Amino acid sequence: MNAGHAQASRKTPGSGKAARQKAIFLIIAIAPSLLGYFLFTLYPNVMSVYYSLLQWDGLTDAKFVGLDNYAYLIKDHFVLRALVHNVVYIVAVPALTVLISLLLAYLLNNKSYKENAFYKIVYFFTNVLSTVVVALLWSFIFDGSFGLLNGFLELFGLNMNDFYWLGDTRTAIWALVIPMVWGGVGLYVVIFINAMGAIPKSLYEAAHLEGARPMEILFGITIPLIRNVIRVCVVFVVLGTLKGFEIIMILTNGGPEGSTDVVGLYMFNLAFGKEAHSYGYASAIGMFLFVILVGAKLIIDKVYPEKDVEF
Amino acid sequence: MAERRTLADGIWRLVLLLWALSILFPVAWIFYQSVRTNADFFQDIWALPSAMNWSNYTKAWNGYAIGKSLLNTVYYVGVGLVLGTFLTTLNAYALTRMTFKGRKLIWGLIMLSLFLPGINALVPQYVLMKSLDLTNSLTGLIILDSFGENVFFLMLLGGFMSSLPKDLEESAHIDGATLFQTFWKIIVPLSTPGIVTVAIFKFLGLYNNFLAPFIYLSDPAKYTIGVNMYQANMKMQYTSDWVTMFAGVMIVMVPSILFYVLFQRRIMEGATMGAMKG
Repeated sequence: MNAGHAQASRKTPGSGKAARQKAIFLIIAIAPSLLGYFLFTLYPNVMSVYYSLLQWDGLTDAKFVGLDNYAYLIKDHFVLRALVHNVVYIVAVPALTVLISLLLAYLLNNKSYKENAFYKIVYFFTNVLSTVVVALLWSFIFDGSFGLLNGFLELFGLNMNDFYWLGDTRTAIWALVIPMVWGGVGLYVVIFINAMGAIPKSLYEAAHLEGARPMEILFGITIPLIRNVIRVCVVFVVLGTLKGFEIIMILTNGGPEGSTDVVGLYMFNLAFGKEAHSYGYASAIGMFLFVILVGAKLIIDKVYPEKDVEF
Repeated sequence: MAERRTLADGIWRLVLLLWALSILFPVAWIFYQSVRTNADFFQDIWALPSAMNWSNYTKAWNGYAIGKSLLNTVYYVGVGLVLGTFLTTLNAYALTRMTFKGRKLIWGLIMLSLFLPGINALVPQYVLMKSLDLTNSLTGLIILDSFGENVFFLMLLGGFMSSLPKDLEESAHIDGATLFQTFWKIIVPLSTPGIVTVAIFKFLGLYNNFLAPFIYLSDPAKYTIGVNMYQANMKMQYTSDWVTMFAGVMIVMVPSILFYVLFQRRIMEGATMGAMKG
């Protein structure tokens, strides 16, 4: 062992070679990611505040207009309309996703049907598919002329006469709820199964002995004991639904006649759409969305507080 | 639990079956239509195929330039996966097993990202990427996606690494190993299960990423497979060549299906890990 190694193996922090080696390692290990994080995440987030005060199309010089964008935002009825659709989605999608997942997870966990193991694998499959594939799949199902849905209805004697589910203002918003729920349920089934599996079997046995009905067991034991897990899932789906607009963009791009537009998509189209870009106003809407997201989290905390659950 | 087979059981089994069918049936239907001809398909969507028309797959492959976009995807996902996983591993090690000044501050900054929705940063991020000349470039996308901090992956891998015995580094140190050697020859091999889980989720995230490639890639020769299929579907309203479209969608699904079949158990376990930490 040479002198250098001997020195390095002495455990005196701050001494020469070992300290230098640690410093170099730390810089190599942390600096690239941290710089990337500053540059691509923190910096744009801070800049979005500044951008929201500009009138800027991305090409000509930006003009500082103060709170003008926000003043316009309050009166913009497209924002209001999009916001109403957001509310529809953040009520319908999480409610359906959590209810369906809870039911399926309960059945898979508490009933010993021989096909259950297979179902667990099938259900999660939608979660490994990309948004594009999920969206295209459902565009084929909802299509008017050859769609699977109309084909099915025809088998039952219901002729929809080339009805386009995504092309009608009355049905489009609800039709979009289905792929959103369909694509998300698998993950929550797995999460709920794991949570339910952690509930001691003795609790169920005691309930059985007292003659509790399956529904009483579900609502009296299972759901109360996994309420914190359900809560996390609700937060996840609500925030995800508020942020997500890709599936809407691919399937309807907010149409027909803006009947499926949401705030995120409206913002996206203002900034990156085919017409004139308005980076400043889009950023103001982005800030607005940020406030709504924080607000949504606070509302969930208020009406559905985290509670300690003991087995 | 002893189960009595009752009418209710019949209903519950039907519920389970219907949900499974809602997933399997559309996929099977699209596969089935992808080997028919447009004429047959429009005449009757239920009829059995008169012959297996595999040429739709060749047509989709050539017509949509799937080969090219698949190569782009392999480059984007491959490099992004290796670089991203490597950086996360280094980071998780330094931030969870090493002590140094400023560690708490760095963690605090990273935790901040949990409160940032990201969507409001899209425009400034785009302007930044443009001024760095990283738009319309797969390498630019890789840089955007690989550098940065991901709280979930750091906690997942960091949690895994902190369960390794504390005296590992010390004994390696006494044996004369440098920090780099310790990291590479001891920490990485022992953390492999955690690293694989992170890599799986990075793969799924990159392969299924649509929005960033859609925003940043404008040249069709650089499209990833997802953007390619989206654009192909947009053009479909003029051509109505649906059976070829179905073949294309089936091709895009193949990597997901293969990946899921291979790593099914790990993906399902990892999914709950990642979600519960949030």
